[in-house]
Amino acid sequence: MRLHDVVIHEGDAEKINAVLTTFLGESGATEALLIDRSGQLLAATGANRALDTVSISALAAGAFSSTGALARLLGEEEFTVLFHQGNKESIHVSTVDDQAILLAIFGGQTTVGMVRLFAKEAATAIGQILTESRAKPRSMGDLSTPLTVDESRTTFGEPTKP
Amino acid sequence: MAVINYAQKVINFKVVYYGPGLAGKTANLQHIHNSLPDGSKGKLISLAAGDDRTLFFDFLPVSALTVRGFTAKFQLYTVPGQLYYNMTRKLVLRGADGMVFVADSQWDRLRENVESFRNLEENLREYKTSLDDMPYVIQYNKRDLSNIAPLEYMEFLLNRRARRVPSFEATAVNGDGVFDTLNTVSRMVLVGEFSQEKGEHCETA
Repeated sequence: MRLHDVVIHEGDAEKINAVLTTFLGESGATEALLIDRSGQLLAATGANRALDTVSISALAAGAFSSTGALARLLGEEEFTVLFHQGNKESIHVSTVDDQAILLAIFGGQTTVGMVRLFAKEAATAIGQILTESRAKPRSMGDLSTPLTVDESRTTFGEPTKP
Repeated sequence: MAVINYAQKVINFKVVYYGPGLAGKTANLQHIHNSLPDGSKGKLISLAAGDDRTLFFDFLPVSALTVRGFTAKFQLYTVPGQLYYNMTRKLVLRGADGMVFVADSQWDRLRENVESFRNLEENLREYKTSLDDMPYVIQYNKRDLSNIAPLEYMEFLLNRRARRVPSFEATAVNGDGVFDTLNTVSRMVLVGEFSQEKGEHCETA
């Protein structure tokens, strides 16, 4: 399967955040992250603590894809849920569709059963939003024309001196 | 595949450093991490085995410039170079927007470079893509050592596709050539993303 760009338009972002907020309310989880399977964060909702969501996304996508490879070695199409249990906090990762996964962080105030139940519902709703989003044009407005030479000068650090 | 977020005004790209084991892929990311100011880098995460060799991947998010109101962010990954880790290499390749092939310049490592390059082409085929469609550069690393092949010979071995790509001599452990490589590949990824050709190919996400 060749992968195309993922585009989150403003309206889609609002709809996704609304689904994630409902999911948090119903499941009792504290944070919800929508993650592309290549490791990029698509949306995040939850408690306002300073989580490194970029790193969490890369690691969760890695763990989930690794679990998927394990499943295929056993003849399964996929393991649809990944669960890590900690002393105070746990992580539940589940499939949204073939491009995205949903990660929930939760503590002792709820159970993995509750998270799993409502994650399924949230995944279905988000899957629909992503499908509709993929049918829209990739680039709009400012992003629809090629970059000029000046605009493409990305420079992170000093080049090596000759 | 880039992730374009109109709500957050961010475009995220994934760049993968590929190459044989011990070629210096992790050393590239370590130098970038040590050199950039805090505001434009995230944490460097290394999933390494006990002997410090990459087991799954290294990961470093960095931010570049603002393009038309959007912040361009690049997520840098390395793959494990050892041959028998091919399954994990394939997983890391998923969704890559650009590649850096890090070659080991030592004479006795030339065969491993060629095998790794072929392995990259095979793995990309599984994602129904190829180096013809992917911005990439080649870095000839370890140029400070004495037992190295001439640059022309390295080019003959590794940069011989119909489309010749930019290549750089480097000594990643002390930083030489690291940012030349990163600046070039990131620019190629960015220009490719906005090109008319890609726009037509990827009309829908």
